[in-house]
Amino acid sequence: MARNPAITRYNTRMAAIMVVYIAGIVLASCVIDRDAPLGPLTITLALIPGLAIVAAIGAIGRFLTELADEYLQMLEVRKVIVATGFTLAVTSVWGLLELYSDSLPRLPVFYVFPLWCGGLFVGQIANYFWAGGDDDDAGVCP
Amino acid sequence: MNNRLRVLRAEHGWSQQDLADRLGVSRQSVNAIEKGRYDPSLPLAFSIADVFGLTIEAIFLRDGDPE
Repeated sequence: MARNPAITRYNTRMAAIMVVYIAGIVLASCVIDRDAPLGPLTITLALIPGLAIVAAIGAIGRFLTELADEYLQMLEVRKVIVATGFTLAVTSVWGLLELYSDSLPRLPVFYVFPLWCGGLFVGQIANYFWAGGDDDDAGVCP
Repeated sequence: MNNRLRVLRAEHGWSQQDLADRLGVSRQSVNAIEKGRYDPSLPLAFSIADVFGLTIEAIFLRDGDPE
């Protein structure tokens, strides 16, 4: 079967965004001293990976609208819903535990997006079981 | 909702991919509709009916209706 053009475009966009994101993280980690005061340079360097995340969210939204096949679109939307529920559940429970226990390590907000991406994988598993173990129907985008 | 898609496809000697190509959807879509895991939208149901030259009611059946 020919590769879905929407998936190809999504993968291309996401690969470019991830290059910027990783480069931004590496650059910020090398240049910014952890104890440095918040200044224009710190903010600018931190914004590079930050804006890459915003672009990644936009790419996911655009992928959902470009996916012409209604069934594949439904699978992807369900993955996003599962990922959102998963992230809300984990962060809410963890936040309450943090609130009532000083010994628990604080979860940096930075981890919310990677957690949500992990939730997409949970959504893919949910799709797989919903389809009765039919590998075809787990979803199309990583 | 039940449907006669698999039977109709077999009568025409089409694979799932053949039907998917005619409908302009993925093979996964045809598979999911045949297995009753996904009810197509009205426009897609009309496209399916057009491909087979039948009415929607001749292909898609209410739950409990005899096939």
